[in-house]
Amino acid sequence: MAEKVVEIENLVKRYKELVALDHLNLTVEKGEIFGLLGPNGSGKTTAISCILALLNFDKGSVKVFGEEIQPDSYRIKQQIGVVLQNVAVFEDLTVQENIDYFCGLYIKDKTERKKCVEEAITFAGLEDFRKFLPKKLSGGLLRRLNIACGIAHKPKLIILDEPTVAVDPQSRNRILEGIQKLNREGATIIYTSHYMEEVEQICSRIAILDKGRCVASGTKEELKAMIKTGEKIHMEVMELTPEQLEEIQSLQHVYQLTYDKGMLEIRCSGGKHNLVRILDYFQQKEISFGRVYTELPTLNDVFLEITGKELRDLAEG
Amino acid sequence: MFFRAYGYGLKRCAREKYLMFWNILFPIILGTLFKVSFGDMNEREFMFQQIPVAYVEEEQSQQEFETLLTELEEENQLVKVQKVSGEEAKKLLREEEVKGIFWNGSSITLTVTEEGMDTSILKSIQEQYEKTVGAFSEIAAEHPENLQMVAGNIAKQWNYLKENSITNRNMDMMSDYFYALIAMNCLYGCFSGVNCAVAFKANLSALGARRVVASTNRFVILLADICAKITAQFFCTVFGAMYLKYALKVNLGDETVRILLMILIGSAIGVMTGVFVGSIGKIKESVREGLCIGVTMIECFLAGLMASGMYQLVETYAPVINRINPASLIVKAMYSLNIYDTYTRYNQCMLGLLAITVILCIGSYLMVRRERYASI
Ligand SMILES: Nc1ncnc2c1ncn2[C@@H]1O[C@H](COP(=O)(O)OP(=O)(O)OP(=O)(O)O)[C@@H](O)[C@H]1O
Ligand SMILES: [Mg+2]
Repeated sequence: MAEKVVEIENLVKRYKELVALDHLNLTVEKGEIFGLLGPNGSGKTTAISCILALLNFDKGSVKVFGEEIQPDSYRIKQQIGVVLQNVAVFEDLTVQENIDYFCGLYIKDKTERKKCVEEAITFAGLEDFRKFLPKKLSGGLLRRLNIACGIAHKPKLIILDEPTVAVDPQSRNRILEGIQKLNREGATIIYTSHYMEEVEQICSRIAILDKGRCVASGTKEELKAMIKTGEKIHMEVMELTPEQLEEIQSLQHVYQLTYDKGMLEIRCSGGKHNLVRILDYFQQKEISFGRVYTELPTLNDVFLEITGKELRDLAEG
Repeated sequence: MFFRAYGYGLKRCAREKYLMFWNILFPIILGTLFKVSFGDMNEREFMFQQIPVAYVEEEQSQQEFETLLTELEEENQLVKVQKVSGEEAKKLLREEEVKGIFWNGSSITLTVTEEGMDTSILKSIQEQYEKTVGAFSEIAAEHPENLQMVAGNIAKQWNYLKENSITNRNMDMMSDYFYALIAMNCLYGCFSGVNCAVAFKANLSALGARRVVASTNRFVILLADICAKITAQFFCTVFGAMYLKYALKVNLGDETVRILLMILIGSAIGVMTGVFVGSIGKIKESVREGLCIGVTMIECFLAGLMASGMYQLVETYAPVINRINPASLIVKAMYSLNIYDTYTRYNQCMLGLLAITVILCIGSYLMVRRERYASI
C-alpha cells in the first residue's frame, strides 16, 4: 500500500453557525495529483487551512506525513509547498527577491537557494520579469509569481489552492504541465479548483466536495462509472410532438430527455450504438434535424447526479 | 534566516515611498516651517518679551541695584523698568501691566502676583543681588585690600546671571518645538509597526498566512521585520535631527551618543506602538492607522509640538501624563541633556522609555502568540 501523505479523518470545522467542513474524510497518497473539486464555498480552502494547521477545528484529526500537524511542526512544514488562494507577495520586493525571500524561509544554503530560485523563475516563465515589482505584473503573471514562491524550495508535498484563477489558457496549460512535471519529479500534489476540465486533465484522483462533505472520490473513470449517464447526445430538431418525445424516451438505454428551444438532449445509460438507434428512429419518422453531437459524461455530470445541482453554474455564479 | 529576513525588511522600508514621506520629508518640512516662523518671532519676542517691572525707590535706596536694573534693561533687554511711586506700582501690578515690583530700600524686596518663568527670573535677579551685595559689604568692612577683586567677581556673576537668563529663555521657547519634532519623528514608526503586525497575523493578511505556514519560526520572522522597521525609523529620525542641527542650526547640544540612544529607543517605541495597535483583534487596517495617528498626535501635542509651554502645563495639572507619555519623555530627555550637568534626569527618562517599550512588547506578544485561528 502506498504511503499516506495526508490523512484527514472526520474533520469538522464550524464558523459560528456555519458548518464549513462536515465530517470530512480524505487521504492523499504519495505520488498522486489529488484534485479537490467543489463549487465556491464548498470548503476547499478551509480544508487546506486545516491541513496547514492555520485553523483550529472542532473535531477530527489531520495527519501529514503520518504525524498530527501542529503550528510548530516545522519539520513537516519544511516538506510542504503552499500556494494560497489569495496572492501573498511583498509589494516592495521584485519578482526575484520575492521568490528568494520565500525560498529562504525553507532553504538556508545560499548557493542551493540561488539554484532553486532560478528554477522557479523558469518554471513560472518569469524570466523577463525578474526586476519587476508585483504591482507592475498582470493578474496572471502575479498568480505565476505566487506559484513560484510556493514551490521554489522543492517540497515533497505541494498544496495549490485555485492557482489558475485569472490566468489565460496558454499560461494555464503551462502551469498545469509544470505541476505534472513536479509530480513526475516526485512531489505529491493537492490541487483545488472549481474548473473540472483542469482537474480532469491532471489529477490522478479526485474528491468532489459539496457543503463541506466529500460526496465522491476516486479516479475520474471511477467517478464517471458511478453515475448512470454513459453518453449524452445533443440534436438540433425544429419540431417535435409530445408523442414523439415519449417514443424517443422509450428507446433502449435512454433514461432522460430534455427539449428546449430546438435543442434535444438525450442522456443514455451505458450500452452501445445509442446514437445509431436514435438516428434510425428519426429517419424512420422522417423528422429533419440539424447538428448532432455526442458527449461523454464530465465531472459536472457526476456532480449533477450526486448532488442534484450544476457544478459549473455554481462555480461561475 | 533572521538576517536575511531583516535585510529584506530594510529593503522594503527603503522602497516604501509613502513611509519615507512621513518619516523624512514631513518632519523636515515641519522643522523648516518652525524655523522660519521662529527665526522671525525670536527677534520680535526679545523686544516684546522684556519683562515689564515696576521700580520703586524708597529711603536708603541702593545705587548699585538701580545700576544693575538699568544694565539689564539697556544692555540685555531682559527687563523693562518703569520707575514709579509705590501707589502707582501697585496699580500697575493689579492691572497686570507689570510682572512685579522691585522695592529698593534698606533691602531689596520683590512683589509678584503669579508664579511663572518671568517672575522666577525677577526673583533670581533679586537673590543674586542680595547675595553679591552681602559679600561686598562684608569684605569692604573686613578686608578692604581685596575690594577690587571682589568687585570684579561680582560683575562677573552679574554677567553670568544676565547671560544665563537670556540664553535659557531663548532655548525654552524654541527647543520645545524641535525636541517635540524629534519625538514625533520617532513615534511615526507606528505606521511601520501596524504594517508589521498585519503582515504577520494569518487572519489579517495573506502574507501572514503564507509566512506562518513556512518552516521558519514565525516569531523569528516577526522579530526580523520589527528590527528592520526600527532601524529604518532610527535612521530617518537621525537624518531629521541632523537636518535640524546642521541645516537649520538648531542647538541640540553635544551629547551625540546619548541623543542617538534616545532616538533608538524612541523609534522602538514608535514601531512597537504600531505593532501593539496592529495586534488588536480584527479591525480594518485604515482604522488602525487612524488610531496610531491619533495617539501619536496627542502624545506630541502634550509634549509641546503644537503649543509651547504644554509640557509645563501638563506638569502642573497632571504630572503623571508626562511620566508615561513617550513624547514628553523624549522632550524631557533632550532637555535634561542640555540643561543639567548630571545625567540623572536623562537616565530617568530613558528608564521610563525602556519601561514603555517592554510593556508594549509584552502586550503585543500576548495578543499575537495565539497559533491557530478560529477563522481566516
Ligand atoms: N472566516 C470565515 N468566517 C465565516 N465563514 C467563513 C469564513 N471563511 C469561509 N467561510 C465559509 O465557509 C464555507 C467554506 O469556505 P471556503 O473558503 O473553504 O470555500 P472554498 O471551497 O474555498 O470556496 P472558493 O471556491 O470560493 O474558494 C463558505 O460557506 C464560507 O462562506
Ligand atoms: Mg477557496
